[in-house]
Amino acid sequence: MFSFRYVLRETGQNLWRNILLAVATVVTVGVSLAMFGGFMLFQVAVDSATARWQDGVEFIVWMNTDAGTDEDSSVRNQLDESPGVERWEYVDRLQSYEEFKEFFEDTPEVLEIFTAEGVPPYYRVVPTDPDPDGVEELGSQFKGKPGVRTVTFAGDVIRDVQNLSNRAGRVLFIGSIVLLGASTLLILNTLAVAIGNRRPEIEIMRLVGATKWFIRVPFMLEGLVQGLLGAIVAMISNSLLRNYVIDQFSDADGLQLLAGFKVDDAAMLQVNLLVVAIAVGVAVIGSNLAVAMHLNE
Amino acid sequence: MIKMEKVTKVFKGDVVALRDVTIDIGKGEFVFLVGPSGSGKSTFIRLLNREDVPEHGRIFVAGRDIGGLSGWRVPYLRRNIGYVFQDFKLLQKKTVAENVAFALEVIGKGPQVINRQVPAILELVGLSRKMDRFPRELSGGEQQRVSIARAFVNRPLILLADEPTGNLDPTTSVGIMRLLERINEIGTTVVMATHDSSIVDSMRQRVVELDRGMVVRDQARGVYE
Repeated sequence: MFSFRYVLRETGQNLWRNILLAVATVVTVGVSLAMFGGFMLFQVAVDSATARWQDGVEFIVWMNTDAGTDEDSSVRNQLDESPGVERWEYVDRLQSYEEFKEFFEDTPEVLEIFTAEGVPPYYRVVPTDPDPDGVEELGSQFKGKPGVRTVTFAGDVIRDVQNLSNRAGRVLFIGSIVLLGASTLLILNTLAVAIGNRRPEIEIMRLVGATKWFIRVPFMLEGLVQGLLGAIVAMISNSLLRNYVIDQFSDADGLQLLAGFKVDDAAMLQVNLLVVAIAVGVAVIGSNLAVAMHLNE
Repeated sequence: MIKMEKVTKVFKGDVVALRDVTIDIGKGEFVFLVGPSGSGKSTFIRLLNREDVPEHGRIFVAGRDIGGLSGWRVPYLRRNIGYVFQDFKLLQKKTVAENVAFALEVIGKGPQVINRQVPAILELVGLSRKMDRFPRELSGGEQQRVSIARAFVNRPLILLADEPTGNLDPTTSVGIMRLLERINEIGTTVVMATHDSSIVDSMRQRVVELDRGMVVRDQARGVYE
């Protein structure tokens, strides 16, 4: 039978005895998870800002709100028959309005002006060849067609933002994975030191009949506490990143592209839950390795 | 209470610690294990506590074959066996009472049991007045009394003692032996490995002599040599 008070006391004592090492571990776990969280948040923000331009979409054919079935069919036929079009997706008026609402959720004055009827449906088009000249030529074929309001292109800025985000994301991701590996090893080492410090007690515990789990649990809980404290550091960092960096981008005047550069509450919650889950994973792996390698009950 | 049947223990490098040992120790017996260094006394004790397992033969403790005991059951076996060390193995940052209480706490006993049993056992070993002292504030004999208290606080069926007087002067050793005798009189089986001939000769208990891993003498009310 476990004594809850005993386990808490021993865990606390273990942490206190190696306080410097414990702080170093928490900071490392925190920094690595903050990097991972940052990577996730930037991905969410870039995806949000460039939502219409994901998956290789190079131009959008916007239809008039009052475009008839014949006009619509004519555009579809041309998309189907064009050898330069790899695939296309139709976004109807209601879906388009939902996207519109999401895009301008922070500016209710804009939302008040438009209703679903005022938002046009559109076609997202993925060309076979992303070469800018070819894309320009292909997209221009739809300009001026009956029912077509306008054709917009992804353009260099959006592609640059996506490319930069992908590259920065990769660096952050690889960096965070390396640091998470280091965190696991640091937790392992911290627990190895704690186990070494308590070797005489562990020997007595074994000989008087303490169960394997009774001996292990305080050490494993110590690792878990370090992991969770690291997760709290990362969540604070995530919150600061969102409020003082990402939201500042979206508030920047004159940069239409960055208007959608934001992280909503649901995405923030998901990222934080993922950070906690990874912290628990890192702690469990580090703790298990430590007790398996250094605790020979 | 303890039964060994043709037990052989071999360490790495083909070092035979025990060879074909067969012995039967009844409930409430007091048995001295004697023999030169390296004769297998400590291995004998370690096997009884399941710190090691024999290569051949079977060991029964309280009627149970401990060789076939699964790992998770070993702690429960050890709760029936007290262990006294030559070097006491007391935790220096804990007081006398805390050292003894530790043995109960780590097997999940609650505060009520601990508060009842710890003072009682410290009374038995004559350390009631020193329960708040730290081990460094005690003499060697007193430290060994604490070690015995810790081993006996859970009222085990068997008490194993590996050279418990090895670090003590003769006068203090007598006190420790009186304490072990008293614990034996309560009904606890005591198995004690020792080099101390005067103690063995004065107590006239059963003597099992080991030599190069074999039992060469098993004598009731025996002497050291």
